[in-house]
Amino acid sequence: MNLYKPAVEAQKFWNPYTQTMARADLDRLHLRKLQTAIEYAYAKSPMYRKLLDRHKVKPEQIRTMDDFVKRLPFIDKKEILDAQAVSPPFGDALAISEDFFHQRFATSGSTGAPLHIPLTYHSAELWGESWVYLYWAAGIRARHSFYFPFNWGIFAAFWSAYMGVRRLGATVVSGGGLDSKARLRQIEQYRPDVMLATPTYALYLGETAREMGVDLAKTSISTVIVSGEPGGSIPATRHAIEALWGARCYELYGIAEIGPTNPGCPLQEGNHLCEDWYHALVVDESGNPVPYGEVGEHIVTSYIQDGQPLIKYRTHDLVRWTDQPCGCGSTWLYYPGGVLGRTDHMIIVKGVNVYPAAVEALLHRVSGLSEHYEVHVDRDATNDFVTVKAEARADIDGVRYAEIGRDAAGVFKSVIGVSIDVTVQAPGSLPRYELKAKRFFDHRPAGHRWQLAGRGQA
Amino acid sequence: MTREETLERLRELQTRVQELRQASDNPAIERTMQLLDLYCHMARWELGDVRAMNPEAESR
Repeated sequence: MNLYKPAVEAQKFWNPYTQTMARADLDRLHLRKLQTAIEYAYAKSPMYRKLLDRHKVKPEQIRTMDDFVKRLPFIDKKEILDAQAVSPPFGDALAISEDFFHQRFATSGSTGAPLHIPLTYHSAELWGESWVYLYWAAGIRARHSFYFPFNWGIFAAFWSAYMGVRRLGATVVSGGGLDSKARLRQIEQYRPDVMLATPTYALYLGETAREMGVDLAKTSISTVIVSGEPGGSIPATRHAIEALWGARCYELYGIAEIGPTNPGCPLQEGNHLCEDWYHALVVDESGNPVPYGEVGEHIVTSYIQDGQPLIKYRTHDLVRWTDQPCGCGSTWLYYPGGVLGRTDHMIIVKGVNVYPAAVEALLHRVSGLSEHYEVHVDRDATNDFVTVKAEARADIDGVRYAEIGRDAAGVFKSVIGVSIDVTVQAPGSLPRYELKAKRFFDHRPAGHRWQLAGRGQA
Repeated sequence: MTREETLERLRELQTRVQELRQASDNPAIERTMQLLDLYCHMARWELGDVRAMNPEAESR
Protein backbone atom coordinates (compact mmCIF):
# COMPACT_ATOMS: atom_id res chain seq x y z
CA MET A 1 0.00 0.00 0.00
CA ASN A 2 1.34 3.44 -0.93
CA LEU A 3 0.85 6.78 0.80
CA TYR A 4 -0.74 8.22 -2.36
CA LYS A 5 -3.21 6.40 -4.60
CA PRO A 6 -1.47 5.30 -7.86
CA ALA A 7 -3.56 7.63 -10.01
CA VAL A 8 -2.70 10.54 -7.74
CA GLU A 9 0.98 9.63 -7.59
CA ALA A 10 1.05 9.71 -11.39
CA GLN A 11 -0.15 13.33 -11.47
CA LYS A 12 2.36 15.71 -13.02
CA PHE A 13 1.57 18.66 -10.73
CA TRP A 14 1.15 18.93 -6.95
CA ASN A 15 -1.90 21.20 -7.39
CA PRO A 16 -3.08 20.78 -10.99
CA TYR A 17 -6.04 23.08 -10.35
CA THR A 18 -3.93 26.25 -10.04
CA GLN A 19 -0.70 25.18 -11.73
CA THR A 20 -2.48 24.92 -15.08
CA MET A 21 -4.97 27.75 -14.59
CA ALA A 22 -5.28 30.36 -17.36
CA ARG A 23 -3.41 33.61 -16.68
CA ALA A 24 -6.57 35.73 -16.50
CA ASP A 25 -8.13 33.36 -13.95
CA LEU A 26 -4.93 33.32 -11.89
CA ASP A 27 -4.89 37.12 -11.88
CA ARG A 28 -8.53 37.26 -10.73
CA LEU A 29 -7.72 34.83 -7.93
CA HIS A 30 -4.65 36.89 -6.99
CA LEU A 31 -6.76 40.01 -6.59
CA ARG A 32 -9.03 38.24 -4.12
CA LYS A 33 -6.03 36.86 -2.20
CA LEU A 34 -4.31 40.26 -2.17
CA GLN A 35 -7.45 41.92 -0.83
CA THR A 36 -7.61 39.27 1.90
CA ALA A 37 -3.94 39.72 2.84
CA ILE A 38 -4.23 43.54 2.89
CA GLU A 39 -7.42 43.42 4.96
CA TYR A 40 -5.71 41.08 7.46
CA ALA A 41 -2.50 43.12 7.66
CA TYR A 42 -4.39 46.39 8.17
CA ALA A 43 -6.52 44.86 10.94
CA LYS A 44 -3.78 42.97 12.76
CA SER A 45 -0.38 44.58 12.11
CA PRO A 46 0.24 48.03 13.65
CA MET A 47 3.11 48.45 11.18
CA TYR A 48 0.80 48.01 8.18
CA ARG A 49 -1.98 50.13 9.66
CA LYS A 50 0.48 53.00 10.13
CA LEU A 51 2.00 52.48 6.66
CA LEU A 52 -1.36 52.49 4.89
CA ASP A 53 -2.68 55.39 6.97
CA ARG A 54 0.45 57.37 6.12
CA HIS A 55 -0.25 56.75 2.45
CA LYS A 56 -3.95 57.53 2.92
CA VAL A 57 -5.13 54.20 1.57
CA LYS A 58 -7.70 51.84 3.10
CA PRO A 59 -7.98 48.12 2.25
CA GLU A 60 -11.43 48.60 0.70
CA GLN A 61 -9.91 51.02 -1.85
CA ILE A 62 -7.93 48.17 -3.42
CA ARG A 63 -10.61 47.10 -5.89
CA THR A 64 -8.46 46.28 -8.92
CA MET A 65 -4.95 45.05 -9.66
CA ASP A 66 -4.18 48.56 -10.88
CA ASP A 67 -5.14 49.90 -7.43
CA PHE A 68 -2.76 47.39 -5.86
CA VAL A 69 0.07 48.38 -8.18
CA LYS A 70 -0.44 52.14 -7.97
CA ARG A 71 -1.86 52.85 -4.52
CA LEU A 72 -0.13 50.47 -2.15
CA PRO A 73 3.38 51.37 -0.98
CA PHE A 74 6.37 49.06 -1.23
CA ILE A 75 7.91 47.94 2.02
CA ASP A 76 11.60 47.33 2.63
CA LYS A 77 13.56 45.40 5.22
CA LYS A 78 14.53 48.60 7.03
CA GLU A 79 10.87 49.46 7.76
CA ILE A 80 10.31 46.03 9.30
CA LEU A 81 13.46 46.41 11.39
CA ASP A 82 12.21 49.83 12.55
CA ALA A 83 8.80 48.35 13.44
CA GLN A 84 10.46 45.49 15.34
CA ALA A 85 12.63 47.96 17.24
CA VAL A 86 9.51 49.58 18.77
CA SER A 87 9.23 46.62 21.14
CA PRO A 88 11.75 43.87 20.30
CA PRO A 89 11.77 41.29 18.99
CA PHE A 90 8.66 41.78 16.82
CA GLY A 91 7.18 45.11 17.88
CA ASP A 92 4.68 46.68 15.51
CA ALA A 93 5.34 44.12 12.77
CA LEU A 94 3.58 41.36 14.70
CA ALA A 95 0.05 40.44 13.65
CA ILE A 96 -0.85 37.45 15.80
CA SER A 97 -0.69 36.23 19.40
CA GLU A 98 2.53 34.41 20.30
CA ASP A 99 0.27 31.44 21.18
CA PHE A 100 0.22 30.71 17.45
CA PHE A 101 4.00 30.76 16.98
CA HIS A 102 5.44 27.54 15.66
CA GLN A 103 9.06 28.56 15.12
CA ARG A 104 11.18 31.67 15.27
CA PHE A 105 13.88 32.51 12.77
CA ALA A 106 16.24 35.44 12.38
CA THR A 107 18.57 36.72 9.71
CA SER A 108 22.28 36.95 10.47
CA GLY A 109 22.23 40.74 10.79
CA SER A 110 25.46 40.91 8.83
CA THR A 111 24.38 44.24 7.32
CA GLY A 112 22.72 45.60 10.49
CA ALA A 113 20.32 44.34 13.15
CA PRO A 114 18.96 40.79 12.65
CA LEU A 115 15.43 40.65 11.26
CA HIS A 116 13.18 38.43 13.36
CA ILE A 117 10.80 36.08 11.56
CA PRO A 118 7.86 34.55 13.44
CA LEU A 119 6.33 31.53 11.77
CA THR A 120 2.92 30.17 12.75
CA TYR A 121 2.04 26.52 12.14
CA HIS A 122 -0.01 27.76 9.18
CA SER A 123 3.01 29.59 7.68
CA ALA A 124 5.35 26.69 8.39
CA GLU A 125 3.08 24.18 6.65
CA LEU A 126 2.80 26.39 3.59
CA TRP A 127 6.47 27.42 3.47
CA GLY A 128 6.98 23.67 3.39
CA GLU A 129 4.37 23.16 0.72
CA SER A 130 6.09 25.73 -1.50
CA TRP A 131 8.99 23.25 -1.77
CA VAL A 132 6.65 20.37 -2.56
CA TYR A 133 5.70 21.84 -5.95
CA LEU A 134 9.38 21.35 -6.89
CA TYR A 135 9.75 17.93 -5.23
CA TRP A 136 6.66 16.65 -7.00
CA ALA A 137 7.56 18.09 -10.42
CA ALA A 138 11.03 16.53 -10.08
CA GLY A 139 9.44 13.10 -9.61
CA ILE A 140 10.14 12.85 -5.88
CA ARG A 141 7.46 10.97 -3.97
CA ALA A 142 6.78 9.72 -0.44
CA ARG A 143 9.01 6.63 -0.90
CA HIS A 144 12.13 8.80 -1.36
CA SER A 145 14.50 9.98 1.36
CA PHE A 146 16.22 13.33 1.73
CA TYR A 147 19.66 14.10 3.16
CA PHE A 148 20.19 17.46 4.90
CA PRO A 149 23.96 18.04 5.18
CA PHE A 150 24.04 20.99 7.58
CA ASN A 151 23.38 22.08 11.12
CA TRP A 152 19.98 23.32 12.19
CA GLY A 153 20.29 26.93 13.35
CA ILE A 154 18.19 30.07 13.81
CA PHE A 155 18.42 30.84 10.06
CA ALA A 156 15.32 29.89 8.06
CA ALA A 157 17.57 28.43 5.35
CA PHE A 158 16.63 24.80 4.71
CA TRP A 159 14.14 24.48 7.60
CA SER A 160 11.32 25.11 5.16
CA ALA A 161 12.72 22.41 2.86
CA TYR A 162 12.48 20.04 5.82
CA MET A 163 8.89 21.17 6.43
CA GLY A 164 8.27 20.38 2.77
CA VAL A 165 9.59 16.84 3.11
CA ARG A 166 7.19 16.32 6.01
CA ARG A 167 4.32 17.80 3.97
CA LEU A 168 5.13 15.46 1.06
CA GLY A 169 5.36 12.48 3.38
CA ALA A 170 8.93 11.49 2.45
CA THR A 171 11.82 10.60 4.79
CA VAL A 172 14.37 12.93 6.38
CA VAL A 173 17.95 11.93 7.20
CA SER A 174 19.76 14.70 9.10
CA GLY A 175 23.49 15.37 8.79
CA GLY A 176 23.39 17.97 11.60
CA GLY A 177 26.33 18.12 13.99
CA LEU A 178 28.71 16.34 11.59
CA ASP A 179 31.64 17.48 9.48
CA SER A 180 31.68 16.98 5.71
CA LYS A 181 33.57 13.67 5.84
CA ALA A 182 31.12 12.20 8.35
CA ARG A 183 28.23 13.36 6.19
CA LEU A 184 29.61 11.59 3.15
CA ARG A 185 30.00 8.42 5.23
CA GLN A 186 26.37 8.85 6.33
CA ILE A 187 25.26 9.16 2.69
CA GLU A 188 27.01 5.86 1.98
CA GLN A 189 25.37 4.29 5.04
CA TYR A 190 21.78 5.55 4.73
CA ARG A 191 21.61 5.73 0.91
CA PRO A 192 19.30 8.78 0.60
CA ASP A 193 17.86 9.69 -2.82
CA VAL A 194 17.88 13.48 -2.59
CA MET A 195 20.38 15.96 -1.15
CA LEU A 196 19.66 19.63 -0.42
CA ALA A 197 22.50 22.15 -0.23
CA THR A 198 23.75 25.49 -1.44
CA PRO A 199 25.48 25.17 -4.84
CA THR A 200 28.73 26.10 -3.09
CA TYR A 201 28.39 23.27 -0.57
CA ALA A 202 27.29 20.72 -3.19
CA LEU A 203 30.55 21.49 -5.03
CA TYR A 204 32.62 21.75 -1.83
CA LEU A 205 31.60 18.21 -0.91
CA GLY A 206 33.27 17.17 -4.16
CA GLU A 207 36.64 18.36 -2.84
CA THR A 208 36.06 16.48 0.43
CA ALA A 209 35.03 13.36 -1.49
CA ARG A 210 38.22 13.50 -3.59
CA GLU A 211 40.30 13.65 -0.39
CA MET A 212 38.43 10.57 0.89
CA GLY A 213 38.64 8.70 -2.41
CA VAL A 214 34.83 8.68 -2.70
CA ASP A 215 33.17 8.98 -6.11
CA LEU A 216 30.00 10.99 -5.49
CA ALA A 217 28.56 9.88 -8.83
CA LYS A 218 28.41 6.35 -7.43
CA THR A 219 26.47 7.29 -4.28
CA SER A 220 22.70 6.80 -3.93
CA ILE A 221 21.98 10.51 -4.54
CA SER A 222 19.98 10.85 -7.76
CA THR A 223 18.68 14.38 -7.21
CA VAL A 224 20.49 17.44 -5.81
CA ILE A 225 18.32 20.42 -4.90
CA VAL A 226 20.17 23.68 -4.44
CA SER A 227 19.07 26.94 -2.85
CA GLY A 228 20.42 29.91 -0.91
CA GLU A 229 22.42 31.46 -3.77
CA PRO A 230 22.25 31.49 -7.58
CA GLY A 231 23.64 28.45 -9.34
CA GLY A 232 20.89 25.95 -10.05
CA SER A 233 19.59 28.04 -12.94
CA ILE A 234 23.07 28.77 -14.31
CA PRO A 235 23.63 25.94 -16.81
CA ALA A 236 27.39 25.58 -16.28
CA THR A 237 27.10 25.48 -12.48
CA ARG A 238 24.18 23.06 -12.66
CA HIS A 239 26.07 20.83 -15.09
CA ALA A 240 29.13 20.85 -12.78
CA ILE A 241 26.95 19.70 -9.85
CA GLU A 242 25.21 17.09 -12.02
CA ALA A 243 28.52 15.69 -13.30
CA LEU A 244 30.00 15.59 -9.80
CA TRP A 245 27.03 13.80 -8.24
CA GLY A 246 25.81 11.83 -11.26
CA ALA A 247 22.41 13.33 -10.44
CA ARG A 248 19.79 15.75 -11.68
CA CYS A 249 20.10 19.22 -10.15
CA TYR A 250 17.13 21.50 -9.45
CA GLU A 251 16.90 24.77 -7.58
CA LEU A 252 14.47 26.68 -5.40
CA TYR A 253 14.73 30.44 -5.00
CA GLY A 254 13.58 31.80 -1.66
CA ILE A 255 14.04 34.78 0.60
CA ALA A 256 14.71 34.34 4.33
CA GLU A 257 12.05 36.75 5.56
CA ILE A 258 9.28 35.78 3.12
CA GLY A 259 9.91 32.10 2.36
CA PRO A 260 10.40 29.75 -0.59
CA THR A 261 8.74 31.89 -3.25
CA ASN A 262 9.93 30.20 -6.45
CA PRO A 263 10.23 26.43 -6.85
CA GLY A 264 12.45 25.47 -9.75
CA CYS A 265 10.99 24.44 -13.09
CA PRO A 266 11.49 20.72 -13.78
CA LEU A 267 13.03 21.70 -17.14
CA GLN A 268 15.83 23.25 -15.01
CA GLU A 269 16.38 26.51 -16.89
CA GLY A 270 14.62 28.75 -14.39
CA ASN A 271 11.91 28.82 -11.75
CA HIS A 272 8.20 29.54 -11.36
CA LEU A 273 6.57 31.88 -8.88
CA CYS A 274 4.60 29.74 -6.42
CA GLU A 275 1.31 31.42 -7.25
CA ASP A 276 -0.72 29.50 -4.70
CA TRP A 277 1.02 31.34 -1.87
CA TYR A 278 2.76 34.36 -3.38
CA HIS A 279 2.12 37.29 -5.71
CA ALA A 280 4.92 39.12 -7.49
CA LEU A 281 5.63 42.24 -9.48
CA VAL A 282 8.85 42.99 -11.30
CA VAL A 283 9.55 46.73 -11.36
CA ASP A 284 12.00 49.20 -12.81
CA GLU A 285 13.91 51.86 -10.86
CA SER A 286 10.89 54.17 -10.95
CA GLY A 287 8.71 51.50 -9.35
CA ASN A 288 6.63 50.73 -12.47
CA PRO A 289 6.11 47.09 -13.47
CA VAL A 290 8.33 46.14 -16.38
CA PRO A 291 6.71 44.30 -19.32
CA TYR A 292 6.91 40.51 -19.34
CA GLY A 293 10.27 39.49 -20.76
CA GLU A 294 12.12 42.36 -19.06
CA VAL A 295 14.38 42.48 -16.01
CA GLY A 296 13.62 44.37 -12.81
CA GLU A 297 13.44 44.12 -9.05
CA HIS A 298 11.32 41.30 -7.66
CA ILE A 299 8.55 42.62 -5.38
CA VAL A 300 6.75 39.87 -3.48
CA THR A 301 3.54 39.60 -1.46
CA SER A 302 3.02 36.61 0.79
CA TYR A 303 -0.41 35.11 1.43
CA ILE A 304 0.93 32.92 4.22
CA GLN A 305 2.67 35.27 6.64
CA ASP A 306 -0.06 35.57 9.23
CA GLY A 307 2.55 36.20 11.95
CA GLN A 308 4.32 39.08 10.22
CA PRO A 309 2.55 40.04 6.97
CA LEU A 310 4.66 41.21 4.05
CA ILE A 311 2.94 42.96 1.15
CA LYS A 312 4.83 44.42 -1.82
CA TYR A 313 8.09 43.49 -0.16
CA ARG A 314 11.29 44.62 -1.86
CA THR A 315 13.55 41.62 -2.30
CA HIS A 316 16.37 43.53 -4.03
CA ASP A 317 16.71 40.52 -6.36
CA LEU A 318 16.87 41.10 -10.10
CA VAL A 319 14.78 38.71 -12.17
CA ARG A 320 13.35 38.45 -15.67
CA TRP A 321 9.69 37.41 -15.67
CA THR A 322 7.51 35.97 -18.38
CA ASP A 323 3.91 34.85 -18.66
CA GLN A 324 4.58 32.68 -21.72
CA PRO A 325 3.46 29.05 -21.38
CA CYS A 326 6.33 26.94 -20.08
CA GLY A 327 7.36 23.64 -21.64
CA CYS A 328 6.73 21.94 -18.30
CA GLY A 329 3.00 22.68 -18.67
CA SER A 330 2.67 25.10 -15.76
CA THR A 331 1.01 28.46 -16.31
CA TRP A 332 2.68 30.02 -13.28
CA LEU A 333 4.94 33.01 -13.98
CA TYR A 334 8.33 31.84 -15.19
CA TYR A 335 11.74 33.37 -14.37
CA PRO A 336 14.27 32.16 -16.95
CA GLY A 337 17.75 32.00 -15.47
CA GLY A 338 16.47 32.38 -11.90
CA VAL A 339 17.92 35.28 -9.92
CA LEU A 340 20.19 37.34 -12.17
CA GLY A 341 21.78 39.36 -9.37
CA ARG A 342 21.04 41.85 -6.63
CA THR A 343 19.87 45.39 -7.32
CA ASP A 344 22.89 46.63 -5.41
CA HIS A 345 25.09 44.41 -7.61
CA MET A 346 23.71 45.84 -10.86
CA ILE A 347 26.60 46.79 -13.10
CA ILE A 348 26.29 49.15 -16.04
CA VAL A 349 29.35 49.19 -18.29
CA LYS A 350 29.12 51.82 -21.03
CA GLY A 351 25.33 51.59 -21.01
CA VAL A 352 25.18 47.78 -21.00
CA ASN A 353 23.62 45.98 -18.01
CA VAL A 354 25.92 43.21 -16.80
CA TYR A 355 24.45 40.69 -14.36
CA PRO A 356 26.71 38.71 -12.01
CA ALA A 357 24.89 35.49 -12.97
CA ALA A 358 25.80 36.13 -16.62
CA VAL A 359 29.44 36.59 -15.66
CA GLU A 360 29.38 33.22 -13.87
CA ALA A 361 27.67 31.50 -16.78
CA LEU A 362 30.18 32.85 -19.29
CA LEU A 363 33.22 31.96 -17.19
CA HIS A 364 32.12 28.35 -17.27
CA ARG A 365 32.32 28.43 -21.06
CA VAL A 366 36.05 29.09 -20.93
CA SER A 367 38.12 25.96 -21.18
CA GLY A 368 40.72 25.66 -18.41
CA LEU A 369 38.87 27.57 -15.66
CA SER A 370 37.52 26.00 -12.44
CA GLU A 371 34.29 27.04 -10.64
CA HIS A 372 36.19 29.39 -8.28
CA TYR A 373 36.12 33.07 -9.21
CA GLU A 374 35.58 36.63 -7.89
CA VAL A 375 33.96 39.60 -9.61
CA HIS A 376 35.26 43.04 -8.59
CA VAL A 377 33.36 46.18 -9.60
CA ASP A 378 34.69 49.72 -9.37
CA ARG A 379 33.86 53.02 -10.98
CA ASP A 380 35.84 55.72 -12.72
CA ALA A 381 34.48 59.19 -13.47
CA THR A 382 31.73 57.97 -15.79
CA ASN A 383 31.49 54.20 -15.87
CA ASP A 384 31.42 51.02 -13.83
CA PHE A 385 34.23 48.68 -14.74
CA VAL A 386 34.63 45.03 -13.92
CA THR A 387 37.61 42.80 -13.29
CA VAL A 388 37.40 39.07 -12.72
CA LYS A 389 39.82 36.82 -10.83
CA ALA A 390 39.40 33.20 -11.79
CA GLU A 391 41.23 30.05 -10.81
CA ALA A 392 42.64 27.71 -13.41
CA ARG A 393 41.86 24.00 -13.26
CA ALA A 394 44.48 21.91 -11.46
CA ASP A 395 45.63 20.24 -14.71
CA ILE A 396 46.45 23.52 -16.48
CA ASP A 397 50.08 24.60 -16.81
CA GLY A 398 50.82 28.07 -15.37
CA VAL A 399 52.31 29.27 -18.67
CA ARG A 400 48.80 29.13 -20.17
CA TYR A 401 47.11 31.42 -17.59
CA ALA A 402 47.53 34.64 -19.60
CA GLU A 403 46.18 32.97 -22.74
CA ILE A 404 43.13 31.63 -20.88
CA GLY A 405 42.53 35.10 -19.41
CA ARG A 406 42.50 36.54 -22.94
CA ASP A 407 40.08 33.79 -24.04
CA ALA A 408 37.74 34.68 -21.18
CA ALA A 409 37.91 38.42 -21.94
CA GLY A 410 37.13 37.55 -25.56
CA VAL A 411 34.01 35.60 -24.53
CA PHE A 412 32.72 38.57 -22.50
CA LYS A 413 33.40 40.96 -25.38
CA SER A 414 31.70 38.77 -27.97
CA VAL A 415 28.64 37.75 -25.89
CA ILE A 416 27.79 40.84 -23.84
CA GLY A 417 29.81 43.39 -25.77
CA VAL A 418 31.83 44.82 -22.89
CA SER A 419 35.50 44.69 -21.92
CA ILE A 420 36.19 42.77 -18.72
CA ASP A 421 39.75 42.06 -17.60
CA VAL A 422 40.24 38.49 -16.45
CA THR A 423 43.19 37.46 -14.28
CA VAL A 424 43.75 33.72 -14.14
CA GLN A 425 45.29 32.43 -10.92
CA ALA A 426 46.65 29.18 -9.55
CA PRO A 427 44.25 26.58 -8.06
CA GLY A 428 43.60 27.17 -4.35
CA SER A 429 44.56 30.87 -4.47
CA LEU A 430 40.99 32.18 -3.90
CA PRO A 431 39.14 31.70 -0.59
CA ARG A 432 36.95 28.59 -0.15
CA TYR A 433 33.46 28.70 1.35
CA GLU A 434 31.39 25.90 2.81
CA LEU A 435 27.86 27.31 2.57
CA LYS A 436 27.56 30.45 0.50
CA ALA A 437 30.41 31.79 -1.60
CA LYS A 438 31.28 35.48 -1.59
CA ARG A 439 32.04 36.15 -5.23
CA PHE A 440 30.92 39.75 -5.72
CA PHE A 441 33.03 42.64 -4.41
CA ASP A 442 31.61 46.10 -4.96
CA HIS A 443 34.09 48.96 -4.57
CA ARG A 444 31.77 51.61 -6.05
CA PRO A 445 30.46 54.60 -4.07
CA ALA A 446 26.96 53.83 -2.68
CA GLY A 447 25.36 56.58 -4.78
CA HIS A 448 26.08 54.65 -7.97
CA ARG A 449 24.00 51.62 -7.03
CA TRP A 450 20.33 50.88 -7.87
CA GLN A 451 17.84 53.21 -6.14
CA LEU A 452 14.13 52.37 -6.26
CA ALA A 453 12.34 55.71 -6.34
CA GLY A 454 8.98 54.13 -7.03
CA ARG A 455 5.58 55.43 -6.15
CA GLY A 456 4.37 54.89 -2.67
CA GLN A 457 7.82 54.82 -1.10
CA ALA A 458 7.46 55.89 2.50
CA MET B 1 -14.89 14.51 -7.96
CA THR B 2 -15.32 18.07 -9.24
CA ARG B 3 -13.80 21.13 -7.59
CA GLU B 4 -17.25 22.32 -6.50
CA GLU B 5 -18.12 18.97 -4.93
CA THR B 6 -14.76 18.88 -3.15
CA LEU B 7 -15.27 22.38 -1.82
CA GLU B 8 -18.80 21.63 -0.65
CA ARG B 9 -17.55 18.65 1.35
CA LEU B 10 -14.60 20.62 2.71
CA ARG B 11 -16.84 23.42 3.98
CA GLU B 12 -19.19 20.92 5.66
CA LEU B 13 -16.24 19.12 7.20
CA GLN B 14 -14.69 22.37 8.46
CA THR B 15 -17.96 23.46 10.07
CA ARG B 16 -18.22 20.15 11.93
CA VAL B 17 -14.57 20.29 12.98
CA GLN B 18 -15.03 23.85 14.29
CA GLU B 19 -18.11 22.77 16.26
CA LEU B 20 -16.19 19.92 17.85
CA ARG B 21 -13.22 22.21 18.56
CA GLN B 22 -15.53 24.55 20.47
CA ALA B 23 -17.38 21.78 22.28
CA SER B 24 -14.42 19.70 23.45
CA ASP B 25 -12.80 20.24 26.85
CA ASN B 26 -9.98 17.77 26.09
CA PRO B 27 -6.70 19.57 25.20
CA ALA B 28 -5.58 16.79 22.84
CA ILE B 29 -8.89 16.87 20.97
CA GLU B 30 -9.00 20.67 20.83
CA ARG B 31 -5.49 20.83 19.34
CA THR B 32 -6.26 18.11 16.81
CA MET B 33 -9.47 19.86 15.75
CA GLN B 34 -7.59 23.18 15.52
CA LEU B 35 -5.12 21.56 13.10
CA LEU B 36 -7.94 19.93 11.12
CA ASP B 37 -9.61 23.35 10.88
CA LEU B 38 -6.33 24.73 9.55
CA TYR B 39 -5.95 21.94 6.99
CA CYS B 40 -9.53 22.48 5.76
CA HIS B 41 -8.72 26.17 5.39
CA MET B 42 -5.53 25.34 3.45
CA ALA B 43 -7.35 22.91 1.17
CA ARG B 44 -9.97 25.53 0.36
CA TRP B 45 -7.25 28.08 -0.55
CA GLU B 46 -5.60 25.46 -2.74
CA LEU B 47 -8.86 25.26 -4.66
CA GLY B 48 -9.23 29.03 -4.84
CA ASP B 49 -11.91 29.36 -2.16
CA VAL B 50 -10.45 32.35 -0.34
CA ARG B 51 -12.21 33.83 2.66
CA ALA B 52 -9.58 34.88 5.21
CA MET B 53 -5.84 34.68 5.89
CA ASN B 54 -6.21 31.94 8.48
CA PRO B 55 -9.04 30.06 10.21
CA GLU B 56 -8.93 32.45 13.16
CA ALA B 57 -9.69 35.37 10.84
CA GLU B 58 -12.75 33.65 9.36
CA SER B 59 -16.02 34.88 10.80
CA ARG B 60 -17.55 31.94 12.61
